[in-house]
Amino acid sequence: MDFLDILREKAFLGREFLTWLWFKSDQTGGRIDVPGYTVVEVLFLDRMTLDLSDVETPQTVSIKGEQSELREGMAALKEGKKIEEARISLKTTDNDFTVTLKATWFSFGSFRTPAILPSSETEADEGPEGAFLEKAALIEEGMEIMDSLFAYFLKLRISDAWEAEELPAIRRWVAASE
Amino acid sequence: MGFMSRSASMMRYRIKGEIEGPFWDTVDEGVRKGAFRATIAPGDEVGLGWTSMEDFTDSEFPGASYVRTRYVALSLRIDTARVPPRILEMHLKTETRRLMEETGKQRLSSGQRRELKEQLKESLKRQAFPSIQVHDVIWDTANGVVYFASLGAKARERFEDHFKKSFGLTLVPLLAYMRAEELLDGHSDKQILEKLKSTSLVP
Repeated sequence: MDFLDILREKAFLGREFLTWLWFKSDQTGGRIDVPGYTVVEVLFLDRMTLDLSDVETPQTVSIKGEQSELREGMAALKEGKKIEEARISLKTTDNDFTVTLKATWFSFGSFRTPAILPSSETEADEGPEGAFLEKAALIEEGMEIMDSLFAYFLKLRISDAWEAEELPAIRRWVAASE
Repeated sequence: MGFMSRSASMMRYRIKGEIEGPFWDTVDEGVRKGAFRATIAPGDEVGLGWTSMEDFTDSEFPGASYVRTRYVALSLRIDTARVPPRILEMHLKTETRRLMEETGKQRLSSGQRRELKEQLKESLKRQAFPSIQVHDVIWDTANGVVYFASLGAKARERFEDHFKKSFGLTLVPLLAYMRAEELLDGHSDKQILEKLKSTSLVP
């Protein structure tokens, strides 16, 4: 498949990932035990955009506000919309990050890492390179967390367990919300 | 906001293709070849190219300062200058009058007029204060991944193009589907991925 085909036809994968992530976060009280990795605390924050992907004129529902107002997002899910973008917080024992994950380009809006130590606390001769390397390491760690969550979703998505267990559970979750 | 800010937006790219020849020498060549300089380009662009991530006025990179262990740290600087239409018109009128007096002609042909307008626009662009945009780039050379600190379509397009011109490498945005292909092992898993269709999450 060429790039444009993928962009057009496979964007649903990113959206299903985000929607599944919300479901998973909700079901586990925000603590997702990623197989082969570690426990990641995933919380959906105050911003979410939902979209009807498979139609000619996609409609976007943007939701900003307190956690409880994200329930409007649930209403959009009930109409068949999926999450196009959402602001989430990711925490491991070492570090925490916030990011607005965007499904279509799988890109990262306002990706916030932990603070870097001020340069007076690093070695005198390290200069900008020291701070840079610290930041690069944090970015990599953030990407690793994201990839591990995505891999978890992916393995489920291509397995028989998707149709048999996961999808029905997601549908029950969508249906049950008020 | 750049990568050294607390919060930065970013696009993740996979690199397609390989550097030919000695790696760091070729990278150095590419950085210097694509270093920031004034450009003559259609539209509003007046300058484009790589600068130091910490200093957008440094396009010399003393001591290959862009090398950070396995990373390449750069910024892409894009300068644009917009000439307000009425200013251009004003100069065009003055220049046209001057030309007609010099040559004794009554009017310019439309081709001459077009050429004059282009020339004036280029020279006025250089007199205007440019708008300077700086977009950070982190190239993880060990993993064939590049992070670009901007999501805007125009900036991304210029970046992808300039990266290719500098290093001969193609950047492909790492879409979810493409990352999925990389994360799955095994031919059968990839085949299932290929056949996946959107599911409805509605009961």
